[in-house]
Amino acid sequence: MEIELIEIRDFLAERPPFDALTEEQLDLLPKQLEIRYLRRNSAFPPEGTTSNHLYILRSGAVELLDDDENLVEKLGEGGIYTTQCQLIDISRASKGVATEDTLLYVMSCKTLQNLRDTEPSFNEHFSESMRDRLKQAVKTLKVSNNNNPLEILTGEIKGLLQKAPVTADVESSIREIALVMSAKNISSMMLMKDEQLVGMITDRDLRKRCVAAGVSPDAPVSAIMTSDLTTVQEDTLIIQALMIMTKLRVHHLPVMRGDKVVGMVTATDLARHQSTNSAFFAADIRKAETLDTLASISERLPELQYQLASSSATALHIGDAISSLTDSITSRLIELAQMELGPAPVPYVWLSGGSQARREQTSHSDQDNALLISDEMRPEHAAYFEELAKRVCDGLNACGYIYCPGDAMAMNPKWRQTLQIWKKYFNTWINKPEPMALMLSSIFFDLRPVHGEFELFEELQTEILGKTRGNGIFTAYMAANALQHRPPLGFFRTFVLIHGGAHDDTFDIKHRGIVPITDIARVFALDRGLPQVNTTNRLRAAAETPILSQEMGENLIDALEFIASMRINHQAEQIGNGIDADNYMSPDELSDLERRHLRDAFRVIQDMQETLENRYQGGRFR
Amino acid sequence: MLDRFLSKESQRKRALKKVGQGVLHDYLSTPMVNKNTVCEDLIIVSLDLETTGLDPKKDKILSYGFVEVSHMTVRLAHSSHQLIAIEEEIPEESAVIHQITDDQAATGIPLEEAMPILLRQLAGKVMLVHYASIEQNFLDAACRKLYGAPFVIPIIDTLVLARRLFERRNHTFQPGNLRLFNLRPQYNLPNYKAHNALSDAVATAELFLAMATDMFPNPSQCQLRRFITQ
Repeated sequence: MEIELIEIRDFLAERPPFDALTEEQLDLLPKQLEIRYLRRNSAFPPEGTTSNHLYILRSGAVELLDDDENLVEKLGEGGIYTTQCQLIDISRASKGVATEDTLLYVMSCKTLQNLRDTEPSFNEHFSESMRDRLKQAVKTLKVSNNNNPLEILTGEIKGLLQKAPVTADVESSIREIALVMSAKNISSMMLMKDEQLVGMITDRDLRKRCVAAGVSPDAPVSAIMTSDLTTVQEDTLIIQALMIMTKLRVHHLPVMRGDKVVGMVTATDLARHQSTNSAFFAADIRKAETLDTLASISERLPELQYQLASSSATALHIGDAISSLTDSITSRLIELAQMELGPAPVPYVWLSGGSQARREQTSHSDQDNALLISDEMRPEHAAYFEELAKRVCDGLNACGYIYCPGDAMAMNPKWRQTLQIWKKYFNTWINKPEPMALMLSSIFFDLRPVHGEFELFEELQTEILGKTRGNGIFTAYMAANALQHRPPLGFFRTFVLIHGGAHDDTFDIKHRGIVPITDIARVFALDRGLPQVNTTNRLRAAAETPILSQEMGENLIDALEFIASMRINHQAEQIGNGIDADNYMSPDELSDLERRHLRDAFRVIQDMQETLENRYQGGRFR
Repeated sequence: MLDRFLSKESQRKRALKKVGQGVLHDYLSTPMVNKNTVCEDLIIVSLDLETTGLDPKKDKILSYGFVEVSHMTVRLAHSSHQLIAIEEEIPEESAVIHQITDDQAATGIPLEEAMPILLRQLAGKVMLVHYASIEQNFLDAACRKLYGAPFVIPIIDTLVLARRLFERRNHTFQPGNLRLFNLRPQYNLPNYKAHNALSDAVATAELFLAMATDMFPNPSQCQLRRFITQ
């Protein structure tokens, strides 16, 4: 049967949430709609309607305003206005105005409810609160990544082949073969006849079938070889090769291109590949004897981030894993330096700052660190710590953690000081918070001990938090600082206005999305004297105090996880494409749905920033 | 000939005297809408016919599409698209335009069944079309042939409205400027790619809403008499 009003049907079918409907539901949908036209500058929703409706913008633009006439949201083509159909009004928009001539598709709330009742995936888009939507989004993100938890193993087997195949003539004696194997330090060999693979011999065969069985080493290797071979083609997936090995209980698989041998893959190769995980990295780091080794391990961190992102890891987990490895590299660099410099003359602790301290690092951020030395330090010790700091910072730089552009590093004498001096620094910052101090606050108000005497740091931290707790003037400055980075909601306003066509605009997801939440959490932690450094932990702890409601706390945590996941996925894609990871996201990368969720997340931030602004009157410092 | 100088209401009464019992009699028995009715209270039927040609004497109606507009809202629930079976083959030159093939036309209903549906739909309402002479003349020819009396209805023609607007603003225009799909972008209305009688009827209805709100931002001034073009 011919589908009537196919234009309207197709317009809806392309857009969330209607894309979640079945073909049949979509076919029937247009006939349940009405069409209205709003002239530019007329009120939205249209006046004179008594019952409640959902509005879909077919063309034009509508601005939604709150009670104070502030622009809350701008709807463009495909934009949906659901407020009238929601039991709980989550939008702060109380009225609107058409800013262009606008054609509206109108659906009764009853029709909407019927669709929601019959189609669960459609219903999800209309969760009663933004909080549910965000939670749902984070969950969906995980599920879509979870489709293939073994994605790590979806590479092809040829990617694992490192060496040319080691083969020998099948007529060779057992002794000749054994000599080659031990000379080349390999555990198996493939045996050829007329360039065709006819058999294979392993260490195990030599032990069991020759030595233990009393076969003469001068006998031909064909007497003890395995000739009934299972081989795999080079384009076999790694996971499939692993399954074949497990099923056949073999540890070696010859790899073929057609009928030509191209290599051998062993269970050890697979295990090593599979365990490209942080534990494996950490072990390698601990064993590294030289800076070069550390640097080459560090080079693989983006790969780890990529693999973690491809598996079901959350942004929180990835940040934790990467930061832990940076800790390990730092510790190992200190150990390597001390092997030559000898032990420190007085106690000290190496502190990480910024994202590493918060355990929110992505691979190869800048390095932020400091050295806190016991007050027992005497002037003649300065040279030792200078050399130590220099070696570690240089080492980190060689490992891809480039020098901090703001010079917030232990190699800077200013940030290599005794406990007493550090206490003075913080006293000054807290009592006279100046813009300079605030610039460094995201580094030095997020400190975490990495190596050395942790007690030294605890003493400093207790001192800091004792002075910031309930310190209205200081927290007002910090709050003002936290309001410097605003989520790019305006970006979405412009975005919806661009009618197709290319736009090169990108937005910095780190500074516009993650930093604002990090800053907010820091204000709470300092205001309440909370020792937590990780943003999620800070928010959780703050939500236990009157400073932050449980609900807002959860909203912020979800928003952070969603935004950070978007960033991790963006970077994973770049790493996968062999380009350096950055924080600049283009709207083209986002699906309509992701854009909606991102906007929800940004709105959570905006809400919180407004609350902060009112509470700390931070606005007057801007 | 005199009809042109008579009001629609008088035309209706004259026609009613000529017609025998049946659907057209029922149709003509329904009083016309008062010309002073405000747009908000009007019930309008936006109608589009696809035909084999332009001459109602020899060409045939191939399909109709209509959608109702009330309270200045297009009611898609009250819309319909119907193919009409014709006996002869569809001329190639018209098939290019409406893209209705002989096979499709064969699945339609005869004109004798289609006309009562249309007349019941239109009774007491206003007919909205873009370029009224096609719809007016073909429906009139069908009524005269089937029921022996003329078809009378108040008509809003968006093409005539557009021409008046061009003239009033002293804009020069080409005939092409007055085509439905060239007028719509001026009102920020989307392009509909599909082209059948119903989508054209919907497109015309949207254009009317846009023109009416543009001409009369104050809804109380938006009255039927400002639009009636025939």
